[in-house]
This record gives sequence, C-alpha cells and structure tokens, in this order.
Amino acid sequence: MPDTILVVVEQREGKLNRVSWETVTAGQAIAAATGWTLEAAVVGSRASAIAAEVAAKKVAKVYAVESPKLEPYTPDAFAAALKHAIAAKHPKLVLMPHTYQVRDFVPKLATAMGRTVISDCIGFKHENGKLVFTRQMFQGKFAADVSFASDAPWFATFQNGAFRGDKAEAGASVAPVETINVDIADNVIRNKPQEVFKEAKQAVDLTQAEIIVSVGRGIKEQKNIEIAKQLADALGGDLAASRPICDNGWLPMDRQIGSSGQTVAPKLYLALGISGAIQHIVGMKGSRTIIAVNKDSEAPIFEIADYAIVGNLFDIVPPLIEEVKKAKAGN
Amino acid sequence: MLIFRKPIEGIDRPQMPADVVIVGGGPAGMACALRLSQLIDVHNAKNPESQRSKENIYVLEKAREIGQHCLSGALLDPRSMRELLPGFEKEAPLDAEVTKEAVYFLTEKSKFKLPITPPPLRDHGNYVISLNRFVKWLGGKVEETGITIFTGFAGSELLFDGNRVTGVRTDDKGVDKEGHQKSNFEPGYDLNAKIVILAEGPRGSLTKQLVQKFDLAKNANPQTYGVGIKELWEVPSSRIAPGEVIYTMGWPLTTKEYGGAWIYGSKDNIVSLGFVTGLDYADPRLDPQRVLQDFKQHPFVTKLLEGGKMIRYGAKSLPYGGWWAIPPVAGNGWMILGDSAGFVNSARLKGIHLAIKSGMLAAETAFEVLRNDALKKDDSSAATLGDFQKKVESSWIKDELWKVRNMHQGFARGFYAGMFHTALQMVTGGRGLRNRYPAKAGYEHMRKLAALPADGGAEAHLLGPAKGDGKLTFDKLTDLYHSGTKHEEDQPSHLVIHDTNICNTRCVKEFGSPCQNFCPANVYEMVDDATQPSGKRVSLNPSNCVHCKTCDIADPYQIITWVPPEGGGGPNYDGM
Repeated sequence: MPDTILVVVEQREGKLNRVSWETVTAGQAIAAATGWTLEAAVVGSRASAIAAEVAAKKVAKVYAVESPKLEPYTPDAFAAALKHAIAAKHPKLVLMPHTYQVRDFVPKLATAMGRTVISDCIGFKHENGKLVFTRQMFQGKFAADVSFASDAPWFATFQNGAFRGDKAEAGASVAPVETINVDIADNVIRNKPQEVFKEAKQAVDLTQAEIIVSVGRGIKEQKNIEIAKQLADALGGDLAASRPICDNGWLPMDRQIGSSGQTVAPKLYLALGISGAIQHIVGMKGSRTIIAVNKDSEAPIFEIADYAIVGNLFDIVPPLIEEVKKAKAGN
Repeated sequence: MLIFRKPIEGIDRPQMPADVVIVGGGPAGMACALRLSQLIDVHNAKNPESQRSKENIYVLEKAREIGQHCLSGALLDPRSMRELLPGFEKEAPLDAEVTKEAVYFLTEKSKFKLPITPPPLRDHGNYVISLNRFVKWLGGKVEETGITIFTGFAGSELLFDGNRVTGVRTDDKGVDKEGHQKSNFEPGYDLNAKIVILAEGPRGSLTKQLVQKFDLAKNANPQTYGVGIKELWEVPSSRIAPGEVIYTMGWPLTTKEYGGAWIYGSKDNIVSLGFVTGLDYADPRLDPQRVLQDFKQHPFVTKLLEGGKMIRYGAKSLPYGGWWAIPPVAGNGWMILGDSAGFVNSARLKGIHLAIKSGMLAAETAFEVLRNDALKKDDSSAATLGDFQKKVESSWIKDELWKVRNMHQGFARGFYAGMFHTALQMVTGGRGLRNRYPAKAGYEHMRKLAALPADGGAEAHLLGPAKGDGKLTFDKLTDLYHSGTKHEEDQPSHLVIHDTNICNTRCVKEFGSPCQNFCPANVYEMVDDATQPSGKRVSLNPSNCVHCKTCDIADPYQIITWVPPEGGGGPNYDGM
C-alpha cells in the first residue's frame, strides 16, 4: 500500500472553515512531489455533508469521522476520534490548518500517539526523498527547515496564508466518501463546553466622546473613582484616566489618555487631580474646553486649562455634581 | 504586587547552533562583526578548499532598530575606524570636524577659560558625530556582509557547561505583568555558540552574570561610573560653530562631586550638550537630571541656548574606573568588549574608538578559532580566546589607558586633590604617587541622611527634582518624553529589586529613597501606602526606562539588577 497523506478539514457546527482549502492545496502539492496518495477527513457529528463538499476536490478518498459525541466540539472527543481514524487508516502524514481549534487538540492527539507536531509551517520541500517543513524563527527573520525523526504518523500544521485555498484542484471525478463511526466512551470526554462567547470588547471609544471626566493620581484611592464616575454620569460623559490610575488597575487600560493610551479631543475635558505631564497632555490638548482641578497651583495642567480650579477635588466635585444635576433638572 | 522578569522555567526552547554570538549591536559589537567578516573574506579568497561561512555569526540587539539605543556626546577619535575601514570619512555620517576647543571652569555666575587646553582634551582631528546614526550606518555595513543582526532580541541569560560559556538565551516574548504566558508567547532561543562576545555597553547584564559567576573582578579595582544626561538643542544660527567643542568643570557641582559638561556644535545649528555626574557623590538627594538643568541656567549656557528648542533627551552611564578596573576580558568561550569591559579613557572622556578597537581585536581572536576549525586543526579554544587578553595588552588600547590609569581615583578626595594628582600623573606617565591607586565602588560614597545637613548645605541647589520652566529647563517627565521611550506595557518589571522590604523600610528612612533622584527617567517612585510602617512603598514605571543602568550602579544596597525588557522596547534615540 502506498504512503498516504491525510488532510484534516476543519468544521465547526456543520460549517467548513475555509482555511482548510489551503491545507488541501498543501496536501495536493506534497502528494505531487512525493507520489503519495492524498486523502481527507472531516470530523464531527454531521461530517458527511462537508465530506461531500471535499470529495469534489482532487483527493483519493474522504473519511467522514462521525460520532454524536463530537458535538459540541471538545478537544478530548476530537483527539479520541482522530486517534481512532489514524490508527485504522495509518496515514504517513497528517496535515491540518494552524487554527485555534487545531492548536487546542493537536498537542493532545500527538502526545496520545507518542508523536510530535511540526506546527505553523509556511512551506515544505522534498529533497532527495526527504520531506522537510519550513517554519519561521526569530519572529520571521529566519526560516528553519525541520524534518521528522520519528516513525509515522507525522503531524504538521500550516500557517494561514501559506498556501492558496483557491488553488485547491478539483478532482476529475467525485472521490468516494467512507464513514468511520467512532465510539467514544463517556469517560473520555472530560471537557464540559459552556456557551460560546466572544470576549466583550470594552466598548469605550473615547475618541468619540463629547465630554470626558478624567482622573489622575489626585484621586488617591480606587474607591474615590466613584465620585468622578458620578460626575461623568451627571454630565452624560465618559470616564477616563491618566496612566498611574490604569497602571494600578483601578480603571482598564482602554480608558487611558496620553502617549501610551488614547488621543482624544472632546468638547469638554475635565481633569481631576491630573498634574499634566507632557505624556498626558499630548493625548488631550486638542480638547475644546479644558477644566482642571488640582491642589497644586503650579501644576502644568493649568498652562493648557481654560478654567483652573485650585483646590481639593474632594471639596469641589461633590457640589459640582449637585449643581450639574440641578441645572439639568431645570432644563 | 511587583513581579520581576526572569526567563520562564521548565519549558522547551528552540535550539540553534552558532559559531559566534555577539551580544549588543553598538560600536564594539558592530566593529567586531565587520572585522570578522573581512577576515573571513580574505581567508575564503585564499583557501577555496576550506570556505568559512558567515551564516552562523549573529549579533543580538535589544533595540527594535540598529543604533536606536546608542547615545554618546559624541566625539569620535578616528584612529580605530581608519584601521577598520580606511577612507571611512568619505561615507560615514560625520557631522563636523573639530575646529576649536576650550575648557572653562565655572562658578555660579562667572567663567574662567583655561589658558591652554589640557592635552587630553585637545580634539583637533576628531569628529562630532551622532553615535546612534553612526552605528546605524555601521550596522548597514554589517548587514551587507551577510551576518545576521537580530534586532529586537536581547540576551537574557548566558548558558554554561561547567566553566565554559556555551551560548546565550534570548528574551522570552509575550509574558504578562504577572509573569504568565500570553497568547503571543514565544520562548527565548538558546543560541549554542562556540564563542560568545559581550558588547552590551556599560554594566552589561550578561557581563554582570559572568563577572559574578567566576568572580572575575576580584583582582580589579571596583568599576566606577558616571551618568551622562544629554539634551539635543536646535539653536538660532551662529551661536556656536560646527565643530566647536567646549568642556566645563565646576558649577553647578561643588568641589566634592566629580563631573563636568560638554557642549558640541554640530551641523544645522544642532548643539549636543550634556552633563556627566560621577556616581560616587555623597548626598542621596542629588539628582543628575537636575544638575544638567542647573548647568543650563549658568549665564554662559543660557546665552547659547536662549531662543532655541530642546529636541531630544537621553541618558547613559559610562565606566571610568580605567585600566585597574578592567576585569579579565577573555576566558573559556567568552570575550568582553567596549564599555562592558571598561575601555574608556576618562581623561579624554572617550571610549568609542577603544570599543571599536576592542571589537576588532576580538574578531581577530574569534577568527583564529573559526579558521582552525575550518582547517580541522586542533585547537584549545580557551587558549585561543586568551589571545584576546594578550592582544589588548599589546595594543594601543593599553598604551592609551595605561597613561591615565590612576586618573579617576585621584579625585576620590575632591576636585583640588584630583587636580594635584592629575598634574603629577601627567609628568610621571600616569603613575602619580604610586603605580596603582586604589578605588572603592561609587555607591559606597553615598552617605545616610542623618550624616548630612538637612538643608543640603553647599549642595542644596543640586538636590531634589528639577521643576523646569518649560523653555530652558525641564522637569524629568518632560525631558523623558523627548527620549521617545516605549515598551510593551504588559510585561514583568525588568528592574529586578531583590528585596523591596529594604526599599520600604530601611532605604526610605536611611537614604530617603535615592532611586527617585538618580534615575533620569522617573522609573522609581515612592507612593503612599498606609500598610507600610514608613507609610511609603516603592512603585515602578518600567516602561519609562531609558536603559542607562544607573539604578543598578548607584543603589546603596546593591539590590537592583537591571535586566533587558522584552526585546524591541527602550528609547528611540535619533541624532543622539
């Protein structure tokens, strides 16, 4: 039996990940160089539909590796299913796209089979009968050629964009699809997937804010930020800060104004307890009106402020909140 | 809670073989790489059957771009460059040839010009350069040879096999403030090298590891340092001629502190000025950045700068302990170059030409090893690298440093004693009262607050932070802004404090936390903390750091270790 290459096509909830076509292209290229046979596999509870799609490409065979346990995705189930399929079909080389999902399960799969992975490859070479993979080193300044020293199966993953998905050749005829039903015992799956979510990107785009209340070191303690927040709420504005506040973790980094944070130009910028180092000033000097509250009458913030209030912000802010509320109620 | 940077333990690291790894792409490291390439070219032309490749010669440079972390006055003595690249003057970025020099002694309001310029400060034939542009140019030459410069990669650890240095580990990338691996984590590489060459600049962090591990400094005088604070100014035309060089002594320092200023006229109305303060002063409240601000308020300097604009700021330490403070510079698998070794002529305030020369000599030594290897000759690498030590001692590096071997030590008891010793040494070929003057480390001169006048006495004007008027003088943060310093913010602190309890309990009382004063970049701050008995706690702003290493040098308890941050971070010097 000739050596085979198995391309694992990625699907999630019945949808094919298009980067898989790049891996099919890579597999076709390696097959052409080595003379090995190219096969593909789709893993999932409803793999057949996608397997049919893949079967239109130039591959010798497509396996639909199925089990109801493969939905939802867990690394335990995927590693177990692929281990079973690889043990049954013993491909020499298993190729995958370097996706988050693959990065999640492939170390487990390879370790379970006592093998290593050459990951995140950008190309391959076939020299004197030896298959060599190219990986980047030193953040892309260097490329290293790496080959397998162990017995098959060999695992390799390709970086996004290493091959062109649209160059995946269609087959002369549709490849046969073979379903491999895998029995995955309950105790194999130790992961309990929760609801899939997208990490909520803090929706603060301070560059669009019309009113910004910004706090600096003069706020003294994290709990005091509340009064600045109340003032921001009363004014209908956003809360921001200078670097020391975000550095302490009192407010998230995306609320930082200055050279290492955001640059803003609101209609009104209220600086509470901010001394006005140049690193902060460069991030807010374009504000239309700047009001600064600071104990130190020589604080540099006063040089660019339109209104300067020299005093303790804890004396000034609470009555200011009341006045703003009164004025708003009056309208 | 402060977490400090250290290489992640217990992980597999990519391994890479190397013939030579040069740590640091400054003048010494670049000259070394270039000379090595020249020698290989000559060898390959003569020996078609035993070609030597340059592919496994690497330079590690922590800056994102070549030259970005290089700062100096600078005046270049062209002697070594003429040996390295004859005719280099035609293509190198040289801003002006020195045409005029003067040395002044300043009092608070007046100046006295020395009737003759002391011979070590005669600079005719030298060039005013921007070191960072010069090194950028030199780095381009190195890259043309096919030698790889890994910019953005720092050397974080030396690798050892018994008593032999076997390589360098580069910095781990993608580690967060808590020391956890981020999603972009990339482990540092182990470059397994036949020869490791340390060209890290003053107080190199790998050099420090090496010196401590093998107790290399045991027979040397303690190294002594100064910190140079520099500003680049654009001034109205014809204030100073291109190539005009001015040195000053005296004010604002008193006769007790060591130091002085330079003012160099460059082209296009650019003036380089700076103040070197010896890091062996007594009063922990002294602030070297303030010393420069005071200096600019002298009528002589104010007149020069008035109406001008400060455009850049930076700081760098320099070793000027001289010949007796240089540790062994070669050993089993390693060599030390330039400022890392201490090749600085303290009388001439020059080290670039010595750094370059030391790089060339190290390259010759390294080449011997590679050639023997190529010709399959037996070699004992230890003995061969030992040749570097001999080459330095029989070169003009030693001739030059030997004459001034006791220069800085002569100033241990102040300015007048220093002038006496200097004069005596000049007529005795550097000997003075004895062949070897002893020295003690600078931080040992620092005195506790209790032993000093509360109002600062004669030094009052040097103490505490500069306020700055925003035109002629600047507070530290404003100056710092002009260094262009930038780091990945989410990473462990690369200023490693071995025991912060000392900061929060002892130092704050005994010395009043001098870290806040000697650091020219506002990295160290004492913040209010009610949970501390002293009411204060040390807080760090590592991303302000300009990589000058002053903290590592001047801290009176010697509990701060400077290690490189994630590669790519640091100042962005341009024209400095």
